[in-house]
Amino acid sequence: MSRSAETMAGRPPTIRKRGLLSYKTRTRVLPYFYVAPATALLCLLMLFPMITVLRYSLQDGAITKKDPAFVGLQNYQTIFSDPVFWQAVVQTLYFTVMSVIFHLVIGLSFALLLNSDRVNPTIRSVLRVLFILPWLFTAVIIAIIWRLLLDPNGVVNGALMALHIVNFKVEWFSSTRTALHALTFANIWAGYPLYMVTLLAGLQGIPKELYEAAGIDGANAFQKLRYITIPQLTPIMISIALLDFIWTMQVFPLVWMTTGGGPIYATEVLSTYTYKLAFSSYEFSLASASAICILFLSMSMTYFYIKHQKAR
Amino acid sequence: MAKRLFSSRALPTVLTYLGLAAGLAFADFPILWMLFTSLKSNTEIFALPPRLLPEQFTLVAYRSIFSDPTKVRFFINSYLVAGVVAVLTVLVAILTAYAFSRYSFKGKNALNVFIISTQTVPPITLLIPYFGMVVAFRIFDTYFALILTYLVFTLPYAVLLMTGYLNTLPKELDEAVLIDGGTSWSALWRVIVPLSVPGIVATAVYTFLLAWNEFLFALTLTKSMEMRTVPIGIELLMGQHAFEWNEMMAMSVLGSLPLLILYLFAQRYFLAGMTAGAVKT
Amino acid sequence: MKSWKPLATLTSAAALWALSAAASFADTTIEFIQWWEPEMPAGALRGIMDGFEAANPGIKVKLVSGPYSATHDQIVAGAASGTLSDVVGLDGAWVNGLAKQSAIAPMDSLMDDAKYDRAQIADIVKVGGKSMMFPLASFVYPVFVNLDLAKAAGLDKMPTNRTEFADAAKKMTQADKNQYGWVLPLSLQTPNGIQNDVMSWVWASGQSMLKDGKPDVASDAVVGTLTYIKSLQDAGDISPGIFAKKEQDKVEEFVNGRVGMMIDSLAHINLIRQRNPKLNFGISALPAVDGYTGKRGLPYASWGIGISNNSTHKAEAWKLVSYLMSPDVNGKLVSIANAFPGNVNAKPDFSKSDPLFAEAFKIFQSGKLANEFVGLPVAEELMRQMDIEVQKMFDGQQTAQQAAANTQKQWLAAFAKN
Repeated sequence: MSRSAETMAGRPPTIRKRGLLSYKTRTRVLPYFYVAPATALLCLLMLFPMITVLRYSLQDGAITKKDPAFVGLQNYQTIFSDPVFWQAVVQTLYFTVMSVIFHLVIGLSFALLLNSDRVNPTIRSVLRVLFILPWLFTAVIIAIIWRLLLDPNGVVNGALMALHIVNFKVEWFSSTRTALHALTFANIWAGYPLYMVTLLAGLQGIPKELYEAAGIDGANAFQKLRYITIPQLTPIMISIALLDFIWTMQVFPLVWMTTGGGPIYATEVLSTYTYKLAFSSYEFSLASASAICILFLSMSMTYFYIKHQKAR
Repeated sequence: MAKRLFSSRALPTVLTYLGLAAGLAFADFPILWMLFTSLKSNTEIFALPPRLLPEQFTLVAYRSIFSDPTKVRFFINSYLVAGVVAVLTVLVAILTAYAFSRYSFKGKNALNVFIISTQTVPPITLLIPYFGMVVAFRIFDTYFALILTYLVFTLPYAVLLMTGYLNTLPKELDEAVLIDGGTSWSALWRVIVPLSVPGIVATAVYTFLLAWNEFLFALTLTKSMEMRTVPIGIELLMGQHAFEWNEMMAMSVLGSLPLLILYLFAQRYFLAGMTAGAVKT
Repeated sequence: MKSWKPLATLTSAAALWALSAAASFADTTIEFIQWWEPEMPAGALRGIMDGFEAANPGIKVKLVSGPYSATHDQIVAGAASGTLSDVVGLDGAWVNGLAKQSAIAPMDSLMDDAKYDRAQIADIVKVGGKSMMFPLASFVYPVFVNLDLAKAAGLDKMPTNRTEFADAAKKMTQADKNQYGWVLPLSLQTPNGIQNDVMSWVWASGQSMLKDGKPDVASDAVVGTLTYIKSLQDAGDISPGIFAKKEQDKVEEFVNGRVGMMIDSLAHINLIRQRNPKLNFGISALPAVDGYTGKRGLPYASWGIGISNNSTHKAEAWKLVSYLMSPDVNGKLVSIANAFPGNVNAKPDFSKSDPLFAEAFKIFQSGKLANEFVGLPVAEELMRQMDIEVQKMFDGQQTAQQAAANTQKQWLAAFAKN
């Protein structure tokens, strides 16, 4: 009570010295204590394996040979001269970019629809739950569901043929022409809920006054969307898109369980390429090199992300 | 009637509902199919022409799961691990986020980059070195191994979420406590944390989800049936010679129920948490 | 003196407890990793382990079961980190790689020490001259024929050579009714379709894809087989969706009567009966090239068994291996699993099984087991390489000769590296 009285009297507030260290030293040292648990955990459990993978990639015959020799960048050379590697890179980029774009588009559309005042609030709450369902299932099951749905004799073809959209059985996962697209579609389906939930929350954070002011100025729905909603949501969209990019590059079970990278490399992505090197060809060194390439690609996105954060 | 439906005032509403209906079909048709598949006998699943609804509803898949204590144990294990991971992740993330949000210190950016970069290594290559480490620490085939592993996987995004959320809470709140003679620790736990319940819930739900659905490390870091989790249980039904399709679907449906309930509870908080977390990150 | 009795009971209880505690300290526990437990009736494998424990006091067996698709990866990872179980369930395609990784141990010295009679084992799989694996149970792959579809197509006997098979396939195909003569699974995820459904044709005619242990894929035998299956596809007799199909999908189509013939594991007989009790089907040996009269090769997959190199209980592990391979136990095991024995002296009891098993056993005894992928280096990768070339051939990108030549090139490179 007396302290606040002092403050109100205009004297600078003196913070009592506690313990051994001065306030200044404490503030300098304190954050390190707070980040210590996370740093310790991550260093202990992630740093060592990450470095081990790097080490394997610079050796010849890691794990399979008792004494693997150090060969520098030879493994990387081997990988870079493999045309399948580059095909995997291109396909991974296609898969990732398309997934991120459509996650964004679908997530935003659903978020807008589920935020609309035109919809009965009870229905809205119910629908919000129904729309996030794809998020709750494990990757293996999602792969199996889509494999069965898109089976040439499956339900999707049955429906398409009944509606006369196609008149033959499309071999979705079996044809080089459609496999990658079918796979991307399945991934889009599985991943949009995170976007939808994030953007929905973002929409609710936009002040209503902005819309009212625009309405007074005579803006219609599309203009409101373009000039208010999207700019307000842009920071969120960029954040989540960059993170999703990193995550989607790692996707493995979905691809592996639906097509195994086939037919004829049509759905080969970097994760399946790496897996086959490790567990089918026993080339752990090459697999580690491939993994470091994936890391490098993801890190470059992280770099842009950090730069973007700093800029704000 | 048609005139009323298509008047310029009602049209947007109609379109909105149509869009929602289309979205619902897109989102939930596969789920519905999965649900119905779990209620069919295995023979019916591959019948032609393909049918959505079962001809004969049967609960044989569900009965088979509930009557097998090993399978029930999978659910218990998953609950336990996911629950503990959620709690621990939230705790560690709060501490870390507090530092990131309230203080600037040397190495802050480097640490930020390091934390995010741990997400960029493909898990499949991390597997063997990680496995070796777990064995060396003698925690192989224990809950502890899984908990630690998932903790490490979920921390980066959790820290991100919590930092963003804490950034929306004005620093004056902390300062009020400090001026009154409190420490940052008490500022954190007495003022900040109670106000960050939405962010905490969002982090907890996301973490629980991730831990519950993870397969690869759960498979590698556990050995005995008593330690296995639900995703492994599903894969076990894919034998070398036969797939128990309906049981797989049933297990998956059962596996998603707790997540659904969790989300229903947390919905209110979840949305608010994610707003602030993502916007002001 | 009333207190004598409870005291005596207590003392004896304590003594017993101490004894059992001491005994359990003396127990050795060995681990056995496999994917078989979920495939057999509940408790069956555990029952066999209990029998082993009863016959070998002092040794306890812990079963580690996992999903088949992940077992290989788990073994590789387990070997790399030194946690691999003592006794290891193996698929023939994994043996070479695991031997090279020094994950599994040669069993020759163990056999010599135990004065084991090697002749009783049907087929010892060797790598580099050392015995690495015994096939415990063999699942042969005959041709399954849907007898109703065959009768409706006007066929009265099983096809015995390629021409008859092609003819039967054609007659049983009615594309508009979604019915096809043959089904071929060539998914790249598990490329064993190459082993079971393609190369099996080569072996059935007593031919080989190897010469002196080295690849000989560009030979007439292989090219002839590839040309033959291409002709079946060109005739439209193969069920669509080849590149994404796995073995399980093949079985499901047969069970639902959508496919007239398939090459498949005998292990599926019970599954088929379960799923579709009304299905009327029979089995026959794989057709050979027209005019071939020699012994027919019978493709097979096996549940193999080996010992971990890192095991500290190799002697006990060997006891379990020899127990499972002994005529009586082996016979019992394969009867439960519906497979053929790995011990030539075992007499499996098929009286309680499907009558088709007895028939299959006759085919088994009159032919010879043939699977040239067993023991090859990076066998799964070899299958995958050939799978991709065959897919290109089906896609019209190359001829059978080119597919064979390309495969030969890749295989030679793989052999040179490993």
